[in-house]
Amino acid sequence: MAKSQFVYVTYIRTTAEKLWEALTEPEFTKIYWAGTYQKSEWKKGARWEVYTPDGRLWDDGEIIEADFPRKLVLTWRKVGGNFPEMKAEGYTRLTYELEPLNDAIMLTLTHESDIENSKLIGAVSQGWPMVLASLKSLLETGKPIEDSTKWPEGL
Amino acid sequence: MSQFIYVTYIRAPREKVWAALTTPETMREYWFGMHQETDWKPGSPWKLVFEDGRVADAGEIVECEKPNRIVIKWRNEFKPEFKEEGYTRCVMSLEYDGELTKLTIDHSIEREGAKIIAGVSDGWPKILSSLKSLLETGKSLERFKS
Repeated sequence: MAKSQFVYVTYIRTTAEKLWEALTEPEFTKIYWAGTYQKSEWKKGARWEVYTPDGRLWDDGEIIEADFPRKLVLTWRKVGGNFPEMKAEGYTRLTYELEPLNDAIMLTLTHESDIENSKLIGAVSQGWPMVLASLKSLLETGKPIEDSTKWPEGL
Repeated sequence: MSQFIYVTYIRAPREKVWAALTTPETMREYWFGMHQETDWKPGSPWKLVFEDGRVADAGEIVECEKPNRIVIKWRNEFKPEFKEEGYTRCVMSLEYDGELTKLTIDHSIEREGAKIIAGVSDGWPKILSSLKSLLETGKSLERFKS
């Protein structure tokens, strides 16, 4: 079992297909996820990369499972920025589960590490609620939360 | 200790989020049809009531500082395995000025592995997702109306 874990559940009025697209497609993530975008073939074994708005590789990993539009599992490690401790922790694991419920999709996000008191899991625990709140706003209202749209200055 | 913490951001001023959390008519829209009964004064009794009038949870207002913070001493009343665990403490915090509110729920009890905290961990994301939809779109989530 993972030694550090962050779990977040949110319910979004959309379809599973649309939510999957919003989690993976650059034209969506650039809007609500600090201008970042991901590159991957979204198939088991494929490489997975996150880029800053100015094109620097920020995080990377590998797709472990891609069961469209229900479940996506990938490994994730820190690559960019001046974060020696987080980089030393190596790979974490991220799981998205999408489950239809009436007019909404239940999205469960689990981000975990085999390291006790992981700095990386601590950091993403602070970030995920804003990213997911903004994603929900974007899908339900067409507009993200302004605070989530910009890459932090100097990072 | 068992603890559940949930943070969400709602595109609405703090006063509106506060009103939605404390007005029975609005609560019914997003909180499984339930509503709270209290005068929101420290020391006053507090109840969470089902649509059919049964009491789901009960306790006391510990702190109430409009529009920033509410603390409730909170015990489940309708499930024996939750009720026997005794009183939990629920802190609702509202932050930021302007068009965005950061809402944090911190619900805890002084015992390891509490069933009641597992229970509320399942409920809060539903309630708060539905509240966010209601305030941002005018419509709560169908599933969690009652």
